Amino acid sequence: MKKCDGFRDLILTDYIDGELDKDAVAGVEGHLLDCSDCRAFFKEVKTNGALPFQQAIRPPVPSELWSTIKQRIEDEKQGSFSLEDLIDKLRGLIVFPRIVPVFASLIVMFLAGSVTLNTIQVQQAKDREQGEYLVSLLSSSGASLPADNNEGTTPIEHYFL
Amino acid sequence: MEDIAKDTLVKASQGDTQAFEEVYKASSSFVYNVAFRVVNNREDASEVAQEVFMIIYHKLKTFRFESSFKTWVYRITANYAINYAKKNSRSKTVPFEEAYGEGAVESEVHAKMDQDHRGQLVEKLLGELNPDQRACVVLRDIQGLSYEEIAQALNININTVRSRLKRSRERLLSLRGSIDYEKV
Repeated sequence: MKKCDGFRDLILTDYIDGELDKDAVAGVEGHLLDCSDCRAFFKEVKTNGALPFQQAIRPPVPSELWSTIKQRIEDEKQGSFSLEDLIDKLRGLIVFPRIVPVFASLIVMFLAGSVTLNTIQVQQAKDREQGEYLVSLLSSSGASLPADNNEGTTPIEHYFL
Repeated sequence: MEDIAKDTLVKASQGDTQAFEEVYKASSSFVYNVAFRVVNNREDASEVAQEVFMIIYHKLKTFRFESSFKTWVYRITANYAINYAKKNSRSKTVPFEEAYGEGAVESEVHAKMDQDHRGQLVEKLLGELNPDQRACVVLRDIQGLSYEEIAQALNININTVRSRLKRSRERLLSLRGSIDYEKV
């Protein structure tokens, strides 16, 4: 009986629906030759489980169906947009950038900015240091900034000369 | 369902009503019949078919031809019909005049008696199944789709198709005593 259960599962589905390969079909048909209970079961499934639907009449499509659909399409075209159309149009107008490229661009911009800022700060520090050094030289030599005359050399000129 | 040229589909997707009529002609029989069998009455079937075609019309512009158009239509139709049947689980019988037309000639009526009997039997049997099982039986036994096509249309595993068909047929066999197949 357990053997029959397996065959009956196949009879209810794959066998009756033609979904089995040749070997499996031969297996089921071999069993049907030997087992009268399963033969009766197969006849029952075919007659009451599948045949009524396979022989079902396909009712004709109502003639007014297309005219109703056509009218709805024309109504939509003439004025009122559907919500989906509206969303489609908005999608076309608004560009939503993708998150990964935007994030990558921001990182590159941040790095470039920080390198530039750092270079400027280093340069400013060097200038300030040099200025302070010159001022300290001036003050240690007791010299003062030259008056607006051309007599002699200034301490700075003297230092460089 | 008949094949539709890609060119026609592209035109229809751009809003060409004539091209969409071609799409309708090629698929209306499938859509209406699946709708009719799943919701199990004509009135609701027209409503479902109408909505399915409006969905196809709107979504055609997003169809990318990566899958078959037929499978796409199968999916929209089956899912819409199943959801509709689940929401509106009622069964209506079709009045005689509606089925045959008023003043039908007696000989015509006799000729249609057998058809009518079979039609009523199918409606009665389908009425015993839940919408998911009904859709599987309709797609398999009435529309002749393979298990693979049904699985794609309903977006379910092929073994789920098998088990739904098995349970449906077991249910139908269990009705043997309660339904008179000759007199329905």
